[in-house]
Amino acid sequence: MKQVRIDVENLSFGYEKGQDILSQISFHAEKPESIGLVGANGVGKSTFLKLLVGLFLSFRGSIRINDIPVEKSTLPQIRAAVGYVFQDSDSQLFMNTVYDDIAFAPRNYGLPEKEVQERTKEAMSLTGTGSLEKRQIYKLSGGEKKLVSIATVLSMMPEIILMDEPSIALDPRNRRNLIGLLNSFGQLKIIASHDLDFILDTCGRTVLMAEGKIICDGPTKDILTDRGLLEKNGLELPLSLQKREL
Amino acid sequence: MSKIEHAVRDIHFITASASRDQWVNLIHPLVKFALTAGYILAVVSFPKYDLAGLAGMAVYPAAVFILADLSFLDAVRRIYPIFLFPCLLGICNPFFDKNTILIFGMTVSAGILSMMTLIIKGVFTVLASYLLIATTPIDKLCYALRMLHIPKEMVTQIMLTYRYLTVLLEEGNSMIQAYALRAPKQKGIHVKAWGSLAGQLLLRSVDRAEAVYESMLLRGYNGAYLYLKEKIAFRRWDVVYGLFWAGVILLFRKYPVVLIAGNLAGGMLG
Ligand SMILES: Nc1ncnc2c1ncn2[C@@H]1O[C@H](COP(=O)(O)OP(=O)(O)O)[C@@H](O)[C@H]1O
Ligand SMILES: [Mg+2]
Repeated sequence: MKQVRIDVENLSFGYEKGQDILSQISFHAEKPESIGLVGANGVGKSTFLKLLVGLFLSFRGSIRINDIPVEKSTLPQIRAAVGYVFQDSDSQLFMNTVYDDIAFAPRNYGLPEKEVQERTKEAMSLTGTGSLEKRQIYKLSGGEKKLVSIATVLSMMPEIILMDEPSIALDPRNRRNLIGLLNSFGQLKIIASHDLDFILDTCGRTVLMAEGKIICDGPTKDILTDRGLLEKNGLELPLSLQKREL
Repeated sequence: MSKIEHAVRDIHFITASASRDQWVNLIHPLVKFALTAGYILAVVSFPKYDLAGLAGMAVYPAAVFILADLSFLDAVRRIYPIFLFPCLLGICNPFFDKNTILIFGMTVSAGILSMMTLIIKGVFTVLASYLLIATTPIDKLCYALRMLHIPKEMVTQIMLTYRYLTVLLEEGNSMIQAYALRAPKQKGIHVKAWGSLAGQLLLRSVDRAEAVYESMLLRGYNGAYLYLKEKIAFRRWDVVYGLFWAGVILLFRKYPVVLIAGNLAGGMLG
């Protein structure tokens, strides 16, 4: 059986020459782990996720997805294996209707229309967006857009799912639904977020980033309960663990 | 609502109109495209004093408005600024053309007559184009263009431009809103801020366009033509519809049907 895994060795990257945003990162993960990538704003979480799907190729070190190195010639394979959910749903969704957007990826992979339809319906039923099928994207609420964004990725049937700040802009109910949804997926997941409560509810393992490096990598329940560690790195204990005086 | 907000809504409205299941919406896009092009050619080629003949050409847009269940007033409200162009062009005619001509039994200035035909030509052309895009989703329109062997790259550009147009307008709108909220007493935008706003708008829309493009790449888009892989087959209705309108347009172009009908009616009454 093929392994579903991510292997990053000595990864360094900067948008501008000489200014590395990530330096010497090594990281390994395999299915069915669910990993929270946490760190203060601007530490490079989004950059790291984008590197994994080959949106920037000028990095040093190596990135391998399912043992395939990320480079120009392998991008089609990499992208078929990895689904990426953007932080901003408006960037993710670009077709007119919900159905067309979810069907975009399978159509692009040249599947026959019948299978496109099956996959689209499946993705809609998993995310509970079936009733939105014919709706215009621009008329959806923020929570609906997020669910549809996830469906557009599920229809690719990726083995790995990367999500950038998925809980941002969701109200408590949508947030709870999303947690349930993510916990029902068996894929290898990496969720970048500074919403530590969300990570606490969805990820068994947490990677803490600061100043372009991985500071700490271990069980979520150890890292997210370590007040000193979190505060030193610009974060706070998850709200649910803070003692509040009411 | 700001003007930009209106523009965004208009585009969304047209997009939504186009993707309904109305009977005309389902006519083959190539048929509608060819009819629109033919109609525009026919309208533009009318002689400059033939107001009566030209008036008959209203039959096509009028019928499509009804078939598509679109509101005429609504359309005018959405696109009236475009009508300004033919009006501006036409307005000079009365000054240059001082002859007089007999029409409908009245003597009128040739200049005014040619001004009116020019304006009406413009209006009909704009209406026909509006009806095409309001009854045909952009992807199907692009499909028709592909059938006419317009290069893939160009068709893809058209499609992306259409998509980015709303992105650009929406970015612009949110910036203007943010500005207005922090300058509540001010009307419009201060000249000093124009430069930085325009620059920001450019940067932001490039950013956004880039993100949209990345999202397409990540979902298997490889630079080739944007989807609609399944063929749109010609049905019998498409052919009937196409031939019918081609006939009507030719007929109205060749004979002043309105005048003839008027005379006939007059004859029967008299
Ligand atoms: N396209 C870009 N060009 C230049 N710098 C960027 C770009 N995107 C992000 N950065 C910079 O890289 C750093 C990391 O950003 P990002 O990965 O978005 O952080 P995070 O997602 O953890 O908040 C930030 O300092 C940001 O300003
Ligand atoms: Mg980020």
